[in-house]
Amino acid sequence: MERISLKIVGASGQGIISIGEILAKAFKRSGYCVFGYREYMSLIKGGHGSYQIDVSDALIRSTEEHVNVLVALNHHGFEQNLSELKEGGVLVHESKDWKFSSQHQAIIKKNKLQVVFLPIEEVLAKLKAKPILGNVFFAAFVWAAFGGDKVLLKELVSERFSKKKDQLTKNMQVIDEGFAHHTMHTSALHVALPAPDKQWSKQLLLTGSQAMGLGIVHAGCRLYAGYPMTPSSPLLSYIADIQNETGMVIKQAEDEITAAQMMSGANFMGTRAITATSGGGFDLMSETVSLNGMIENPSVFVLAQRPGPATGLPTWTAQGDLLMAIHTAHGEFARCVMAVSDSDDAFRLMPEAFNIAEEFQTPVIVLTDKQIAEAIYTQKPYDQGAMQINRGKLIVQPTALKKLRSGDRYDPKITDGISVRWLPGSEAVTYCAQGDEHSADGSVDETAANAVTQIEKRMRKAEAMKKTLLDPELFGGQNPDVLLVGWGSTKGAILDVLENLTKSGVGYLHFTYLWPLRTEKFEKLAAKAKKVIFIEGNHNGQLETLLRQECGYRDGEHIRKYDGRPFFYDKLHDQIVSITSA
Amino acid sequence: MKDYSCATQCTWCDGCGDYGIWTALKRALVELNISPHGVLLCYDVGCHGNMSDKLLGYRFHGLHGRVLPFAAGAKLANMHLPVLAFGGDGASFSEGIGHLVHAVRSNYPIVFVLHNNGNYGLTTGQASALTPQGQPMTASPNGIPEQTLPSMDFIFSLEPTFVARGFSGNIAEMSEILKAAIKHRGFAFVDMLQACPTYNHFATHEYLLERCYTIENHDTSDFQKARALAVDTSKKIATGILYQNENVPNFYERLVPRQGKKTTLVEEVEVRDVSTLMKNFV
Repeated sequence: MERISLKIVGASGQGIISIGEILAKAFKRSGYCVFGYREYMSLIKGGHGSYQIDVSDALIRSTEEHVNVLVALNHHGFEQNLSELKEGGVLVHESKDWKFSSQHQAIIKKNKLQVVFLPIEEVLAKLKAKPILGNVFFAAFVWAAFGGDKVLLKELVSERFSKKKDQLTKNMQVIDEGFAHHTMHTSALHVALPAPDKQWSKQLLLTGSQAMGLGIVHAGCRLYAGYPMTPSSPLLSYIADIQNETGMVIKQAEDEITAAQMMSGANFMGTRAITATSGGGFDLMSETVSLNGMIENPSVFVLAQRPGPATGLPTWTAQGDLLMAIHTAHGEFARCVMAVSDSDDAFRLMPEAFNIAEEFQTPVIVLTDKQIAEAIYTQKPYDQGAMQINRGKLIVQPTALKKLRSGDRYDPKITDGISVRWLPGSEAVTYCAQGDEHSADGSVDETAANAVTQIEKRMRKAEAMKKTLLDPELFGGQNPDVLLVGWGSTKGAILDVLENLTKSGVGYLHFTYLWPLRTEKFEKLAAKAKKVIFIEGNHNGQLETLLRQECGYRDGEHIRKYDGRPFFYDKLHDQIVSITSA
Repeated sequence: MKDYSCATQCTWCDGCGDYGIWTALKRALVELNISPHGVLLCYDVGCHGNMSDKLLGYRFHGLHGRVLPFAAGAKLANMHLPVLAFGGDGASFSEGIGHLVHAVRSNYPIVFVLHNNGNYGLTTGQASALTPQGQPMTASPNGIPEQTLPSMDFIFSLEPTFVARGFSGNIAEMSEILKAAIKHRGFAFVDMLQACPTYNHFATHEYLLERCYTIENHDTSDFQKARALAVDTSKKIATGILYQNENVPNFYERLVPRQGKKTTLVEEVEVRDVSTLMKNFV
């Protein structure tokens, strides 16, 4: 497997994303697996942002820290990122008559970098094109340097500007000029790519948020209520953008409490509804999580993590809210916490989340993070035959409804704790979804005996849930000497490393379901392994803490990251090699 | 009325205004031929919330201050079912005031009944935002330093589409108000002035009885007049339907994706094919 990486840097608002998106799709359509990664600051114009595209003929799902090509839309770009170029790397920039500092000259010399200046202003003036078309010029030149197909690039740009037909001709001229510039002035510049593999060209190129949005629609969810907060906002945007196709009700609420309550009300009435937020917004939702635990209401919360506390690093990534998801909200009740890891399970786990919520009549919290929410994945079209809707013990048949007693709703005698549920409006006896402690029909009951039976009923659902959740999944060697353990978005980088380790006997155990936590498989593997390494994007080792709490394991080593950045492939590779060979 | 009767004993104080509102509600539902399985009643937390198990119907008893968004979410999922939300002046004008503002603004097709007894009853008589400034209450022996919130002026400033005021001593009138509110196209704000014999010693049943009068020959489409009537309670307090505008579409009617849809969100829960959406990503 060979991987090549390209990073576009500049100020927010300069067009980093549009160049990145065009090139990412061009690589994919040409037969490469693409993994895209964005960095930006919490501002709209200025600051420093980047869009990185890692490309390979084989499956990749992570970003490298050091790149082959750096495209800088301003001088701050290469001043900040020049040292990230690999030996023999290429810098493409547009800063006319730029005098590199002695320090930068030393880097260029030491790493044998090729520096290419593009006279974008002159080219655009000659073509009488708007400054924004500089992005297309950049994209065309870089694509030419990769030996890319001009016709394909024109197709992609035409698709992108299909609604702005008047600008199309200019765009095509700029592409021609970009290719011509490469031929005339820098034809020696050629970035080699591995041979393409056609399997990638028909695949999807999408963000984790878009994948999750598709999963939500596929799951039969009909209402989304949310409040903008990065990194959950891209999901809100995508779901909102497709509302006219899906017919869903989208509500941008006045705050996160409202969003959580509307979602709960809609689920209570009997549709499927969801809300999404990040850590701070989830804090506000926690009382509603507790309410759903008490009234045994199916409810789905997406918690998109970013570094905290407080506003923290709004546009960066973290895995710091696992223990919050498990412990948040007052009182004791059953809940399910699961974590998506990539575009595949971001889709697949959404129907699953709704099914668990309905089967166990309880809140489900789906963890994601900024890395998944905004990373760009090459994804096989989803298998839509795999999913079935499971509404649990929901009664809808008229004859069955007629036989119900009010006390069936919260019947504490039920063995698995899951009593039957029927929807408001059903022709049946009625009940109260009661936030106070209640008897079987939802009437307030403060007696000691009732409190005990109802709490025990609700907690039996946690036991029942634990039995049905899947064990963590083992990748790599089946009896590993070295056991890597993780959850969430770190999976991508870990699997990329795993496939490229020369040392055998390394396995990766990935936890998708984090609460209730099944520990047996981990315990068996950890007992046999010579070394256990927890890899997490947080300071305290939250999964490690949880496993210690649940099964007493305390012998592992760990690699932790809490700088707002994801695990990078090359750095993680070196860290794992270093620990495993020690 | 007995269709809504339930065995649970009432726990309100003797003379509590909740008895009257409770009776008027059951009467309105029966007179509209709504059976218990055909309605969702959503209660906030407070003395009024203890109604949640004192009658039948599908009911919900949630968190303090949060009843409106829950009720709105429920309604949007099933537009066929009447949804009523109930909340006290404590919850609705303090903890949940943001929800009230946006519920009026959104014009959700639900009824909101404000159990307005001028204090926090269930937590033993603290001042609410609607308690007169300076009135000694539990936890404020010197009276509250804050200004009293002019609730009706505030509601009218939000350009509501339905505003009514009832008095817990006039069950017949409250029933008529509730019937009209349930039939209203958008968000119906119903202010029920109620006695709290234990903690409210300033606007007692007798005080309200003396001042409240049913408005007659009133043009409910006259916003300015309605606002003036609603706000001026210095000598007399006008009750009845003060303002109604049926020309404003409700929240659901404004949703572009729902135009022409005959089914409810509840009926639409099924596996959905996303092939067309996936094509945009190739």
